Amino acid sequence: MMVNINVNGREYKKDIEPRMLLVSFLRDELNLTGTHIGCDTSNCGACTVLMDGKSVKSCTVLAAQANNHEITTIESSDPKLDVIKQSFVEENGLQCGFCTPGMIMQTFYILENSEDADEEYIKKNLRGNLCRCTGYKSIIDSVKKAEEKVKGEINVSK
Amino acid sequence: MYLNRFVNGEGKYVDDIKFDNMLYMSIVRSPYAHAKIKKVKGGLNSSELKAYYAGMDHAMREPVLAIDEVSYVGQCVAAVFSENRYESEDLLNSVEVDYEPLDAVSSIDDALKKPAIHDGMKDNILDTEDVGNKFNEKDIDYDIKVSDTLFMDRISANPIETRGIIADYKDNVLHIYASSQSIHRLKGGIMKTLNLKDDEIVVHHVDTGGAFGLKALIFPEYIIAAYASMKYKKPVKWIETRSEHLQAAHAGRGIKADITLYARKDGKINGLDGTVYLDTGAYFTDDDLVDLGNAMHEVTGPYFIENAHLTGKYVLTNKALNGYYRGAGKPEASRIMERMIDLLADKLKMDIADIRIKNATEKPFKSPLGFDINYPTKPLLEAALKHFDYYNLSKKEKLGISLFILDEDTAPGESCRITVKDGKVKVYFGGDVSGQGHELFVQEMLSEEFNIDKDLISLDYDDTDTLKDGTGTWGSRSAITHGSVLMKTAEIIKNDVIKKFGKYDKDLLLDNEFNEYYYYKIDYNANSVNFNMVSCDVNDMNSIKIYTYYDLGKILNLKNVLGSIHGGGLQALGETLSETLRYDEDGQLITNNIADAGLLTADKIPQYNIKIVENNSEFPDKAKGIGESTMIGIPSALARSIELQTGKRVTKFPIDDLSLFNKCME
Ligand code: FES
Ligand code: FES
Repeated sequence: MMVNINVNGREYKKDIEPRMLLVSFLRDELNLTGTHIGCDTSNCGACTVLMDGKSVKSCTVLAAQANNHEITTIESSDPKLDVIKQSFVEENGLQCGFCTPGMIMQTFYILENSEDADEEYIKKNLRGNLCRCTGYKSIIDSVKKAEEKVKGEINVSK
Repeated sequence: MYLNRFVNGEGKYVDDIKFDNMLYMSIVRSPYAHAKIKKVKGGLNSSELKAYYAGMDHAMREPVLAIDEVSYVGQCVAAVFSENRYESEDLLNSVEVDYEPLDAVSSIDDALKKPAIHDGMKDNILDTEDVGNKFNEKDIDYDIKVSDTLFMDRISANPIETRGIIADYKDNVLHIYASSQSIHRLKGGIMKTLNLKDDEIVVHHVDTGGAFGLKALIFPEYIIAAYASMKYKKPVKWIETRSEHLQAAHAGRGIKADITLYARKDGKINGLDGTVYLDTGAYFTDDDLVDLGNAMHEVTGPYFIENAHLTGKYVLTNKALNGYYRGAGKPEASRIMERMIDLLADKLKMDIADIRIKNATEKPFKSPLGFDINYPTKPLLEAALKHFDYYNLSKKEKLGISLFILDEDTAPGESCRITVKDGKVKVYFGGDVSGQGHELFVQEMLSEEFNIDKDLISLDYDDTDTLKDGTGTWGSRSAITHGSVLMKTAEIIKNDVIKKFGKYDKDLLLDNEFNEYYYYKIDYNANSVNFNMVSCDVNDMNSIKIYTYYDLGKILNLKNVLGSIHGGGLQALGETLSETLRYDEDGQLITNNIADAGLLTADKIPQYNIKIVENNSEFPDKAKGIGESTMIGIPSALARSIELQTGKRVTKFPIDDLSLFNKCME
């Protein structure tokens, strides 16, 4: 079947199998390998991307369902995403890096959708993303730092 | 810089690599814990590829593809291939296998009672080993004897990146790309199994999405992929699914111990004996020797106990094979001792710190079990208790403590290559870093040594041609081994500059080309003394507080250190409270997904009170190890804190009690 999916602001028209998962579409069809696969049961969040601004596990969405929708992945050059990435670097919010794209996309979602994400809120909203290396502490610190920076920028622009 | 690469989604993990004409491999696996194979038709099966793998020779090695019989759920029976990932999975249905189910053995206890799972064996004991000096209790000075049975169930390593490999056979050379802690070890294993010569295989290191001991091992799937690539003359990729990982990836822990302590009434322990069992799984692997070896040799740990003897039994079960998991026998050994010493303290109504002070050693010594303790342990214990004001705090909080030796697997050393070209410094280690962030300390150390900017330094992927030898990352070694060989190689480069130009400065370095290799040999395992304390309120998961008093020698990079403590700290909580693989009586795995496996999520993180002391080590970089410390020290201390509140002695890990920390177990 033909699909037309907007990924990071670019339209991709492709003829795909109806059963193809969005994560395979991104990784195998578009070569956007930043989105990872860590499980086959929708538990780990390594595959997290945004679909029309909402965080979804791309291993649980068919590419067909993304037809005519907008997908944002770790490869996006959205400036706010850059701020989050930089915060992860500064706070050492990763070790092996495998969960990282999913963590960052989930963080992007958290920061886009909450005015005031406190630590409890951040932790609760990261529950669907597993990390085996960091023990999450530096990840939570990265999210907090990103939040401060994003807020700071908003205040400045006001 | 490596962090930027990962946050931008530009890491190159094995599944990110694509070659033309590449085949995807899927594996037909046994649905039974134990069954005869009456017929197998289709796919690549053992009628064609009949091979056994393991680094060492042993009569009970696992066939890479099952021969006539399957012995655990998930065992490889046949392999299918397609250029399309989805189609290769479809092809699984094209293989016909007829099984005749047999009785299965699903635990150590079961195995000790039931008939042998393999023909030709009289029981399920694969091997037996004795360590220490066998003593007669009449000959030692003791007033009290305490005995107990401890059990640490299996744990799956569960790195977020599962196992995976690409085998690409071209121009008569087999190229392997794998997520690995040691490409040299992987090379050796594949060569041995497939009878390849040294110049017929090159293994390439790629980014590794977490390893935790597991990725130091070799697996049947890797051999099958290598064979298939040679057969089809095409690249073959295999990426494990998480479900396959839970079933078939070699699992850690799985230790049971029956232990007796012999002590005087003042708390001095004069004897220890008992039996330690390892849940070996269905076949032999080399990993068994390390896991049970550590679990036995290190039991007396930091204590001066003059009489000790243990019998070790490698027990066959109808489960996936035993493997390494962060610590590989060391956490088990320490937990056996620390749980027993707490029991003794309770029996003697002594304080758990006092009894440890009584038994801690004041001088280096070699334990009767063969464990060399390089440092006295009493001074660190006393300093730690004082630092945390233990005696006052224990009146207010429910404290568990743990004193332990970290055995650092420094032997036989490590290799390194440093190249300087086009103003960039590249570092290669023969022992492959596997996602612990080593680039941070490499940059920190070299920028200081060379007096150059960190951004000019990178840690690059090696292959078995760039560095002809090398060891690996495991056993809390790399701060010492990698740090030291890095310093040594850097010195050689600096000397090259001086030889050529009469002096060193950074421009002379960066404007020219250098290329040096060095192997820093270490012929023994170093060790260090460490301490953990844990408190908690069993009604509140977020109340868990971890105190660490670690002697790290010189800190190479603080971010690396904290990352190791926070990451290992949470793994240690998981191991204590919830993580395991559950099997039913028929040997069916009932842990169905990574959440069921008990990994903890971001809302479960503990609080930390971290104290690091820096007593320099004897190595060039002055560092000591850290990687496994949390896994060794935290579980027994947490168990103590919990039992003080529940009144139920903890002898089984994970504690797996739904009434605890209501939030944790929901
Ligand atoms: S890959 Fe694990 S949730 Fe999607
Ligand atoms: S950094 Fe390795 S899984 Fe999160």
